[in-house]
Amino acid sequence: MGEPSRIDLPQGTLDLLILRILALGPEHGWAISERIQQVSRNVLQVPQGSLYPALHRLERRGWIKATWSTTENNRRAKYYDLSAAGRKQLEVEESGWRKLAAAVAHVLEST
Amino acid sequence: MWNDLRIRLRSIVRRRRVEAELDDELQFHLDRQVEQYLARGLAPDEAARRARVALGGLDQVKEECRDARGIRPLDDLAQDLRFGLRVLRKSPGFTLIAVVTLALGICATSTILSWIDSTLLDPIPGAADTSDLVTVMRGTITEHPSPPFSYPDYVDLRNRTTTLSGLLAYHDDFVSLTGVGKPERIYGALTTANYFDLLGVKPILGRGFTPGEESTPGGAPVVVLSYAFWQSHFGASPSAVGRSVRINRHTYTVIGVAPPGFQGCKTGLRDDVWMPLSMDRDVWGGNRIDDRGVFWLNVLGRLKPGVRAARAAGELNLLMQRIAASTPEIERGPDQITLDPLWRSPFGANVYLYKTLPLLLGLAAVLLLLACANVANLLLMRSVGRRREMALRLAMGASRSRIVRQLLAESLLVALAGGAAAIAITWWTAGAFGRFFPPTGLPLTLTGHMKGSVLVATVVTALLAAVVSGVLPALRLSNMAPVTVLKEEGRTSGGLRQSRVSRVLVVAQIALCLLLLIAAGLFAKSFRNEQRANPGFDPQHVLLASYDLSPTGESAAQQVTFDQRLLDRLRALPGVQSAALADFSPLNFTLHSNDVLPEGYVPQRHESMEIDRATVSPGYFQTLKTPLVAGREFTDHDDQASQPVAIVNQAFGDRYWPGLDPMGRRVTVFGRTFTVVGVVRNAKYRLLHYAPAPIVFLPLYQNPRDQVIVHLRVAGDPGAVAPLLTRTVEALDPDLPVYDVVTLERSMQFGSIFERLAATLVGAFGLLALGLAAVGLYGVVAFATRQRTREIGIRMALGAQRRDVFGLVIGQGLRMALIGVALGLVGALGLTRFISSLLYGAQPTDPLTFIGVSVVLIVVVILACYTPARRASNVDPMKALRYE
Repeated sequence: MGEPSRIDLPQGTLDLLILRILALGPEHGWAISERIQQVSRNVLQVPQGSLYPALHRLERRGWIKATWSTTENNRRAKYYDLSAAGRKQLEVEESGWRKLAAAVAHVLEST
Repeated sequence: MWNDLRIRLRSIVRRRRVEAELDDELQFHLDRQVEQYLARGLAPDEAARRARVALGGLDQVKEECRDARGIRPLDDLAQDLRFGLRVLRKSPGFTLIAVVTLALGICATSTILSWIDSTLLDPIPGAADTSDLVTVMRGTITEHPSPPFSYPDYVDLRNRTTTLSGLLAYHDDFVSLTGVGKPERIYGALTTANYFDLLGVKPILGRGFTPGEESTPGGAPVVVLSYAFWQSHFGASPSAVGRSVRINRHTYTVIGVAPPGFQGCKTGLRDDVWMPLSMDRDVWGGNRIDDRGVFWLNVLGRLKPGVRAARAAGELNLLMQRIAASTPEIERGPDQITLDPLWRSPFGANVYLYKTLPLLLGLAAVLLLLACANVANLLLMRSVGRRREMALRLAMGASRSRIVRQLLAESLLVALAGGAAAIAITWWTAGAFGRFFPPTGLPLTLTGHMKGSVLVATVVTALLAAVVSGVLPALRLSNMAPVTVLKEEGRTSGGLRQSRVSRVLVVAQIALCLLLLIAAGLFAKSFRNEQRANPGFDPQHVLLASYDLSPTGESAAQQVTFDQRLLDRLRALPGVQSAALADFSPLNFTLHSNDVLPEGYVPQRHESMEIDRATVSPGYFQTLKTPLVAGREFTDHDDQASQPVAIVNQAFGDRYWPGLDPMGRRVTVFGRTFTVVGVVRNAKYRLLHYAPAPIVFLPLYQNPRDQVIVHLRVAGDPGAVAPLLTRTVEALDPDLPVYDVVTLERSMQFGSIFERLAATLVGAFGLLALGLAAVGLYGVVAFATRQRTREIGIRMALGAQRRDVFGLVIGQGLRMALIGVALGLVGALGLTRFISSLLYGAQPTDPLTFIGVSVVLIVVVILACYTPARRASNVDPMKALRYE
C-alpha cells in the first residue's frame, strides 16, 4: 500500500523516544504512540504492547511522573510528564545514541 | 531508590486502585484506536477486534505492566505469607509448640542482650560518645581499686596530655542531706569543673561548674542535682535553681539540674548530687586539693579523634614517670598507667560483668540453636504429610525456589510470632536483672532495658532463627521427584530420608543440651562450693543495721560516747548474745583499702601497698566468731587517749612478716603508727572466691567513723530483732535514721552475686534445653515408630516378642542419645575452659559433673522413648498388616 515499509525499534530505544516526546510536554500513552509514528514519518513501528510496560518502568525509575487529567474531549486519561531526573536521563541517552549512531555510520562508510 | 520503593509499595498497598487505573489507561488507549479504525471506515466489530490485536493481548500487557512496576517479589512474599498463615492456622498444635520453643530461645538471648546493652554498651547513660572515654588507672588493675590520683598529679596530667581532648576527675561517697525532713543518706560526687562538658552532658536547668569553682578550697558552695533527685526533692520545680540544700552540715546553692538518665560516671551506681572538688573541705572535712600525697580521685579521659588508647596510655605513662621523678618525696607505689574502655572499667559494675554477661549470651545462643533444631525437626516431621502437596505443586510447574520461599515464609511467620512473644517476655525479664541483687545501702541501679537497639537485635535474632530452623526442612521438602512421590499413593515409606535428617537433628540437640547442662552443672557446683566454704566467720544469726552520725554535727569524742552507749543498750537486749560496730560488713562491697606500710617490709618496685583496712569496735571478732590466734581483741580502753593499736590477720603476717611473729610489730596507716596487739584467723571480706587477703583492723574508738554498721549476734531469728534494734537507736536519738537493716546471710549474698547470677541463669538454660531436647526426641521416636508400624507388625508376625520390639524402640533412642552425648562431651571438653576463670573450686573438666550430667540426660532420653516404645510393643500384628 501507500505506507512506507516499517522497521522494528532497536533494543532500548523506546525509552529514549518516550523521553524525547515527553520533553515537549505531558502526553497520554495513545498520543505518545501516535507521535512516535508521526515524527518518524511512519518509519518506526512502536509495538503498542511494549509501550505501556515501558511507561510504568520509567515511572518507577522516577524519570517520568503520571497524573490523571481530562483530554480536550473531556475524557479522563493518564498523562505522563518528564521529571527533573528524566530530563537529565534524556540528555545522557541522547548523547549516547548520537555517539552510537555516529560510530555505526563511521564503520559503515569506512568499509 | 525512594521513588522505586514508593511505586512498589503503592502497587501492593493500594492494589485495587492501581489495577483500576491500569484498566482505565488501557481502555482509553483501546477506545482511541477503535475511533481511529472507525474513522477509516471499518465496521465497529472489526475495529474493536483490530484494536485488541494491535495492543497485543490485554492480559499480557497488564501482566507486563505489573512486572514493570516491580511488584512481583513483594506480591509473591505477600502471597506466601498469606498462604503460610492459612497453613499454620490449620495445625494450631504444631504452631503453638514451634512458637513457644523459639520464643524461649529468643527470649534467653534478648534478655542477656538487654542487660549487656544497659551496662557494657551504655556505661554512662546520657553521656556523648562513650566509646571515646577511657578510665585512667594507676597501678595494677583490680576488681576493687581505690581512687588512684591526687589532685596535683591529675592537674599535671591534664595540662600536659596531647592525646586526650580532656581529663576529668571525681570523688564519690555517701553524704548526708539535712534540712528537708528527716536526715537522709544520699550519694554525692565532688567533680572537676569540666566534668559535665567533657561527658557531653548538658544540664536541663541552670549550668555546670566553672573553672574558677574547681580549686579554691571552700570557695564554691554550689551543687548540681540529678534529675531523679530534683524530681523527688524539689517536685521537678523549675525554680529549684537558686534554692539551697544542706549537705554534710553545709549549705549549697542549687545551680543546675542534670538531664534525665545521667547518674554519674560509674556504671550501675547512682550519684544524687555533684559539687565542685573545691568543696572537699566542707563535705568531707579534708583538704586533699593541695596534697600531692593523697590519692582520692577517679579519672576519666576522652581520646582525641583518631588517637588509639594504647598511644594515649603510652603518653600518660611517660608523663606519670616524669611527675614521679620530679616528686620523689611522694610514696605512690606503682605508677604505670593503664587505660580501660568503659565496658571493662574497674570503677563501677562493669569490671564484674564484662566477663560474665558475654559468656551468658553465648550460652543463651546455644539454647536458641537447640530451639531452632527442635523447630526444624517439627517442620521436617510435618513435611512428610505434605509431600504430596509439594509434589503436586512441583508437577504443576511451580519452581523449586518458589516452594522453598513459600516454606521459609512459614518459618518466618513462626519465628516472628516467637520473636514478638520473646519481646513481650523480655519487657519483664530485662528488669529482673536488678532482682538478683540483695538489698543494699549502695546506690545500685543495675537493670536491663528494652531500648530500640535491643528490639532491633531481637527482631534480627528472630529472622536468623527463621532461616536456621526453616532452611533445611524447606530444601528437603522441595527436593524430590514429583512422579515418585505421587506414585507412592499414600504409602509412607517415603519418609525414610526425612527421618534420617531428623535423627541427625536430634543428635545435635542432645549434644547442645549436654553442653548447656555441663555448664549449668559446673556453675552450680562452683556456687555450692562457695556457699559451703567456711568464710572465716559465722554468718548465721547475725543482724546488720547502718547509721550515720555526720548530720548530728557531733565531735569525734561525742560520737564515740554515742557508739558506746548504743552498744551497751544493744547488748542488754533480750536474745542478743553480742554486739559490735564496724565501718564495713563482710562480702557486700563496703570494705575500704588504704596505703599501709608494715614496719620493716621493703616494697618491691611498682608494688602496690594498698591493703584492706577495716575499723571495728570491741567485740567484733567475738560477734562474728572469728577466732583470735594470738593477742587480744580491742577493748573500750583502746581510745584516742591510749596508744594506737591494730589487729592483723594471718595472711597479713604471712605476706609481710614471713616467719616472724606479728605481735608487737608496727604498721603505718593514715600516716599514724599502730602496734599489733592481736592476730585473727583469715576470713573472706571481699568476694567469696577470692583467696584470703591481708587485712589490718583498727579500733573504732581510736578512729571514729560517721558511718557505721551494727553487727548483732542473736540467739534466734535475727530478722525478729530488727524492730527492737531500730527502737533502741531511736530511743537514743529519734532523728537518727537507721538504714539497711538486713541479716548478714542475706547481705553477704553480694559476695557471690555473680556466681549466683551465672548459676541461676545457666541452670535455667540447662533445664529448658533438657525439656526441649526431651520433647524433640520424643517427637522423632514417636513419629518414626508410627512410620514403622507395618514393619513392627511383620516382625511380630515372624515371632518377635513384645520385649524385643520395646528394646528396638528404646535402642533407637538410646543410640541417638549416646552419639549426642559423645559429641557433647567432646565439645564440652573443648569449650568449658572458657568458663574456668568464673569457676570456684570446680575444674572445667570436673569428671563428676561430666558423668553425672550425661547419666541424667540418658535417663531422660529413655523416659522420652518409653511411651513410644510401649505403644510399639502393644501393636497388634494383624491390625498393623491390614492397616496399610
